Amino acid sequence: MTRREMLSLCRNGFGSLAFMGLAGASLASCKPGEQMMGEALGGIQAIPHYAPKAKSVIFLYMDGGVSQVDSFDPKPRLDREHGENPYDKFKVDNTQFNNIGKILKSHWSFKQYGECGMPVSELFPHIATCVDDLALVRSMVSQFPEHTNANYFLHTGIGIQGRPSMGAWVTYGLGTDNEDLPGYVVIDGGLTPPGGLDNFNSGFLPASYQGSVIRAADQPLANIKPLEETTERQMNKLALLNRMDQSLLGKVGEADLIESSIANYELAFRMQASVPEMADLSNETEATKKLYGFDSPSEHTRGYAAQCLLARRLVERGVRFIELTCPRVKADRWDQHSNLKQGHELNAFAVDQPIAGLIKDLKARGLFEQTLIVWAGEFGRTPFAQGVDGRDHNPSAFSIWLAGAGIKGGTIYGATDEYGYRVVENPRSIHDLHATMLHLLGVDHYKLTYHFGGRDIRLTDVHGHVIQEILA
Amino acid sequence: MFSWITKKNILAVVALPLLVIIAAGWFAFNNEAAPSNPLPDVVDFNQHIRPILSTNCYVCHGPDISTREAGLRLDLRDSATVILESGVAAVVPGDHEASELIRRVSTSNEDDRMPPAEVKKTLSEYEIGLLKRWIDQGAEWKNHWSFEPVTASVPPSVYKKKYIDNDIDRFIVNRLEEAGIKPASKASKESLIRRLSYVLTGLPPTPEGVDAFVNDRSPNAYEKLVDRLLDSPQFGERWARHWMDVVRYADTKGHEFDYPVVGAWQYRDYLIRAFNNDVPYDQLLKEHLAGDLIDEPRMHSEEGFNESLIGTAFFALGEGTHSPVDLVIDESERINNIIDVTSKTFQGLTVSCAKCHDHKFDPIPTADYYSWYGIIKSTRFGIHAANEDTHTKTQISDVESLNAQITQVVADQWENDLKEISTPARVQVDRELPALSQALAQYGDSTIAQPLGDFRGGSFGEWTTSGSAFGANPIAGDIQLNEQKEIVSLGVPRASSAGLSKKLIGSLRSPDFRIDHDYITIRAAGVKSVMRIVIDNFQLIRFPIYGGLEQEVDGEALRDYEFDVAMWKGHPAYIEFLPAWDRGENFFADDSSYIDIEYAYAHTEALKDIVLSTRQQVAQSVDSSAVHSALTRWKALEATSQDVDLLNGLLKGGLLSSAIPGLTPLVEEKQESINNIPDPSLIWGVVDGDGTDHPVFVRGNVQDPSEERVPRRALTIYNENQTPFEGKGSGRMAWASSMADASNPLTSRVMANRIWHHVFGRGLVETVDNFGVQGKMPTHPDLLDYLASRFVEQDWSVKALIRDMVLSQAFQRRVEASEESLERDPQNLLLQHYPTRRLEAEAIRDAMLSVSGRLNTTMYGEAIPVYLSPFMTGRGRPRESGPLDGDGRRSIYISLRRNFLPPMMLAFDMPIPFTTFGKRNTSTVPAQSLTLLNDPFVENQAEHWAKELISLKELDARERIEVMYNTAFSRSAKEEEITDGLAFLETQAATYGLDGGEWANDTRPWKDYCHALFNMKEFIHLI
Repeated sequence: MTRREMLSLCRNGFGSLAFMGLAGASLASCKPGEQMMGEALGGIQAIPHYAPKAKSVIFLYMDGGVSQVDSFDPKPRLDREHGENPYDKFKVDNTQFNNIGKILKSHWSFKQYGECGMPVSELFPHIATCVDDLALVRSMVSQFPEHTNANYFLHTGIGIQGRPSMGAWVTYGLGTDNEDLPGYVVIDGGLTPPGGLDNFNSGFLPASYQGSVIRAADQPLANIKPLEETTERQMNKLALLNRMDQSLLGKVGEADLIESSIANYELAFRMQASVPEMADLSNETEATKKLYGFDSPSEHTRGYAAQCLLARRLVERGVRFIELTCPRVKADRWDQHSNLKQGHELNAFAVDQPIAGLIKDLKARGLFEQTLIVWAGEFGRTPFAQGVDGRDHNPSAFSIWLAGAGIKGGTIYGATDEYGYRVVENPRSIHDLHATMLHLLGVDHYKLTYHFGGRDIRLTDVHGHVIQEILA
Repeated sequence: MFSWITKKNILAVVALPLLVIIAAGWFAFNNEAAPSNPLPDVVDFNQHIRPILSTNCYVCHGPDISTREAGLRLDLRDSATVILESGVAAVVPGDHEASELIRRVSTSNEDDRMPPAEVKKTLSEYEIGLLKRWIDQGAEWKNHWSFEPVTASVPPSVYKKKYIDNDIDRFIVNRLEEAGIKPASKASKESLIRRLSYVLTGLPPTPEGVDAFVNDRSPNAYEKLVDRLLDSPQFGERWARHWMDVVRYADTKGHEFDYPVVGAWQYRDYLIRAFNNDVPYDQLLKEHLAGDLIDEPRMHSEEGFNESLIGTAFFALGEGTHSPVDLVIDESERINNIIDVTSKTFQGLTVSCAKCHDHKFDPIPTADYYSWYGIIKSTRFGIHAANEDTHTKTQISDVESLNAQITQVVADQWENDLKEISTPARVQVDRELPALSQALAQYGDSTIAQPLGDFRGGSFGEWTTSGSAFGANPIAGDIQLNEQKEIVSLGVPRASSAGLSKKLIGSLRSPDFRIDHDYITIRAAGVKSVMRIVIDNFQLIRFPIYGGLEQEVDGEALRDYEFDVAMWKGHPAYIEFLPAWDRGENFFADDSSYIDIEYAYAHTEALKDIVLSTRQQVAQSVDSSAVHSALTRWKALEATSQDVDLLNGLLKGGLLSSAIPGLTPLVEEKQESINNIPDPSLIWGVVDGDGTDHPVFVRGNVQDPSEERVPRRALTIYNENQTPFEGKGSGRMAWASSMADASNPLTSRVMANRIWHHVFGRGLVETVDNFGVQGKMPTHPDLLDYLASRFVEQDWSVKALIRDMVLSQAFQRRVEASEESLERDPQNLLLQHYPTRRLEAEAIRDAMLSVSGRLNTTMYGEAIPVYLSPFMTGRGRPRESGPLDGDGRRSIYISLRRNFLPPMMLAFDMPIPFTTFGKRNTSTVPAQSLTLLNDPFVENQAEHWAKELISLKELDARERIEVMYNTAFSRSAKEEEITDGLAFLETQAATYGLDGGEWANDTRPWKDYCHALFNMKEFIHLI
């Protein structure tokens, strides 16, 4: 029996399962008996596969690719050889723009922080205060030096369009704990990554698992604001609707289709209240807001602060997977092909304080231990200049960090060469990152599969190893 | 893990008999019967056993040798029945107790048990029971059903004739009778016309249409309705959209900048016309895969352009990125997508699963994948004129004959002039350099410089053209006029897209070559045209990486264009000349676009910046006989370079006239013919390249090609000894023919099943894109074969097959399920009743437009830009949003930008266009309810409808509600619905402070009521 048929049976026998993905239920909560689940789902056994550390994930997507040698991976040799020809130093790969300049030292100095002594550059003074909570991975490798492929790869585990995003996989496997909110939420900072909304899509998984894009704005979610000026008018419509729809129920063979559609209206109606309530920050204290940077002179910092605060509120409400996209600062994303200094400073200034605020706030509220935070871009940047003052894409090495549930804080894992150009120790792939994220959620990445196009497909394709070294 | 150990051929093995499928052995429910259910009397390999083996065993004991354990294959009888080292056989036919397979799947010893513990699969008692009975009954293996020939099934006889409207019903009712389920009665006429209209046209019927049908008492009223709807132009719009799902249709290529698929909309229009004109499916298939190679292409019946060519846009619809760093990987991804979509679309097979290893479940070896790979790699993408018509051909021949007349008039005058020349005369001649090969030879051997093409000798050589612009040969001595129609000069020998007219589109392409030198230099001239060096078939030539492979030509003087290709040494390449611009976002051309090329060569740094073509002025002494022979050759279109130089010298020296009496009217007549040629409209299709067999990429790794190459040929699934395709091209025509052949077991079944899926909401084979071992078994195998053979018999007519299906009583039944049906067949696989279906995204939106009166029935044309909500941001975002209501056009005409797909369509399960989606999901998500409740488009339509209603001044509120029900639901409103509606209107009016008679003509309460009707489940469901 296929998953679909199982669903269909569930529907027939056990009522409206169709909005499971949103309504706080995963496949695993379809309970016509565990035994049937095992048979029906093949790869998917009872989920979670083992006790989860994390209940929610916050994915801080650093769109465009942060320069590792300017942030978390200091390379003194760049200072010494600044201005020299990289071709004399190492084999230079083709880059996207192929406008290879000279070795370029970092504009920012590094200092060691915390008990662990992790070096962080001047770009991130606030995040630097949280290093004892971070596990830094300096040895990430991607396969694609181009944004779109790399984005799809980072988000879906494969470098082309159309696969389910990691958030969709997670909600497909685990559902959410809140019946009134979507399970997978993207908080839009103003920059949809190259590749578009498909980075957040459900691919071949049912549409129920696709990311819902919300914004810290008057209308937080598309079509969430009732057309009607008064609740009464909408209620009148819904009452009429309900009478008509109920009378239709008796007339059709497959009532479940209509039933779930009716139930879905109830959910949508509740969301009209729950989403704005969730997005309403007016009840947050001034102290909290200040922690995130609501009083910053930069509108971008204030914007990202609101995104981070929304993320915390979503975690509180049991939303499973939350991704934050970058704010639209003057210099575009982290993608500094030129003018590295200004661009990285603007981007860092926008996200640094809000991220540190988020970590501290989660800790203060006891949510940090159940929330996995992942900070990552799609690739890194070159240690030599593009032109004179930029850095090109570098998929051969980049730094990411993880924090929160199940993560061993203060860890530095993996290493790059003396230029920060290539990984020389413990190379780790995007698949490994995905495997680790799933693992912390209690999901065995080998077992989370969906049958499509003649095979059982996984988020990690045929790859992926959990990065045990950064786990607590 | 314990492995199966085999002994060598101790027992003679029995050859696998190819058995005809016997329908009687098939059951509707596969192995889904509850464990407590009794085992079937006859256990069938295809129906019962293969699913068990495939799911649990084939990964290690199936067709793929790379993961096979202990050399045991359970997909073949030979291997499964061999005696193992332990002295037993996996399967001993007739004796399950002696069969190791049974012992191993049922043992409680964990070390011994299969499947092994780590795969976490366990066979149920029921499955083990099936295996035992099957072995005891002789363990008969059968070929997978869909790979066996289609057999023309005889419709079974049935007990109750009243349920039979045509032969399809015999198959359906026979099964219902076996199951003891009574078919539902026929639906009401109102319900029927609504169902039929949506299924055939994707639109609701008009209230007048409903009235006419309900009141038509003639016995063939329904049949007439069917024929009317099949003939309506909206039929093509509906069925083209179905097809667009399987060919991953989009207007742009996605990725970072979402570049357009050039002229994709032309292909969409082509589909609409094809379905409306009922183009035979085998023809449609051939046009998709080889429309450019068809000897007698199908021409548009009125406008006369080449339809077949447009089908090849199928190849170009995939996604594409503009700056992949590794082109070989990028090409392999693009070809993989084409293989995936082609095999699923036309064969219901997942050939792309054989990319890295032999297919795990189907008999598709990796070699088959790379055989197709070679075919596609030997194909080039190409820009075609989508509208060059038979009419154009007439214009072209008019131009040709006027050119001949012009030449004659000029030659006559010049012969006259010759008489005046005192011989020998001295003239200044601008002397052209010798042939390219000679010119290059002085710089050294081919390691220094190598000619790639020289078009000054009257021949294209190995280069090929497509389209009509470049004519049959390069030209020489064409007459160049000034505004006064005086001859300024004769054109030098060259390839030119303007020999006949600058309005024509075509391309000139080199053969494949390998880039061995740092530079390529091309001598060219032109206006709004482009030269492209295509490496690894990579078409999306853009900066930052690849921009240098393309140069615009926009200057009328011939000059050298140098390409630095040092970075691409070793890559396979070809050169392409196009009289069109590839600028900004798109290819485009106007009536000034043309390109001229003299020659092209590759060279090293040594020849950088060296111009070969320094012309020399030489004083030459000529006599009239030399001029006469030059003139004779010129008249015969055989002028040599020297002839042209000589005549130009004479013309310049005033010895030949530049003003020719009688020339002007001919030139004007020619211009008129040219004016009648339509402006070019471009589309990205394919042309044939040089046929090359491809190696296997071992384990899918492009860095690891095998030594041996796989011949290009059809799938070995049909015949193990496929002969390689012949000829020097890609082999696409033979490839297409292997699928369009009536004896292909999959083509007709797969398409007949797709049609059934759209008519009944569920395929007879539910996995419409997968007819392989992992696909579902047909619920009605005999019926499927009946339909497949009928499809072929009726000359692959899609309309005729649809007609058969909708004329069946099965299609016309009510949607109410009987108790027996719910109990015995809860999924309604036996079609006791017509299934309740949710409308597709497009049908929901189109219905709103139709009902509100806003529908704009304009057909065809460029896509309407998508409406951009504030949530649709990112790179490649169009500068301007399209209209909120899409200009009232049907959804099929709204632009499908891969990065900006319409949210309402996605919410209602329109697939993301990346691979074949023959079957859409039907999900229920809050975005659907939120869209219907709060989306500005829906509000806009409600308002439009409300205004239409208010304009019906002569009707009172009650009558308006009746109109609304007729329009939205194609039925009369019931009394309680009217009462409820009136009450709602009144209550709602009160919220606006309206009372008594005021509200009847106020838009607001009516808009609310219209909005509520759009939200009713009856509106978005077929019942």
